[in-house]
Amino acid sequence: MTPNMFFLLASILFSIGLVGLVSRKNLFVLYMSIELMLSSVSLILATLSKVLGEASGSVMALLMIGVIASEAAVFLAMIINLYRANRTVDSDTFNKLREGVYND
Amino acid sequence: MIVGSFAMISNRQTVFSAFGFLVAMIGLAGIFALLNSQFLAIAQIMVSVGAVVVFSMLTILTVNAKEENLPHEPNKTKWILFTSLLVAPFTLLLYKVLATLPNEFVQLETINSKIMGKVLFSEWVLPFEILSILLLSAMVGAIVIARKSKRKERRRS
Repeated sequence: MTPNMFFLLASILFSIGLVGLVSRKNLFVLYMSIELMLSSVSLILATLSKVLGEASGSVMALLMIGVIASEAAVFLAMIINLYRANRTVDSDTFNKLREGVYND
Repeated sequence: MIVGSFAMISNRQTVFSAFGFLVAMIGLAGIFALLNSQFLAIAQIMVSVGAVVVFSMLTILTVNAKEENLPHEPNKTKWILFTSLLVAPFTLLLYKVLATLPNEFVQLETINSKIMGKVLFSEWVLPFEILSILLLSAMVGAIVIARKSKRKERRRS
């Protein structure tokens, strides 16, 4: 078990999250992809805490988990609100801020 | 873990991708335990698996999107393959950058909650307090966003 294996795992996870974020339209899948990317960052922090031999990295990863939780709360509330307004979870529907589109 | 996260992005039904996310989070907790940080593993299981995943599953089941309300994605597989090809060099770059760090673990004792608490409340007090304010504001914001607006209700009735 070398740190490089953990770094490889973290970069693969980050990239899977990025692929999901770019290629899917379902809002829930977008949300979970963002969570996955944040989790891979906290994995890097925990690995660095063991490489450098001090607990600061783990503490940062712990704070990161708190940030992930608060992000989840806000994002899911937003999804509920958007679904209530438009009856869909397709992210292409929500284009009211785009220039030149007045669809209601 | 990689299988779980891949299932997360490739499934059409949202509940199945939530299960893939669950598998990925439990795997991440196991990896934290492998990295000798017990407290982080337990916090990951409690917060990410116990709260975040359950909360997102509850939301998915509450929203209960019908088949016709799900987004129409005819060539999803093609999209995923193409984006993976695009992102692959970036993955390699990220890995190469991270691999420049020293490639050996320092021998140290397990990072248990005692050590972690000492560090958290001596060096990291300010980020901790900021995080608590962030959590409070996120909670209030979530309640405000998810509440039905009064004007709309009046219009409906």
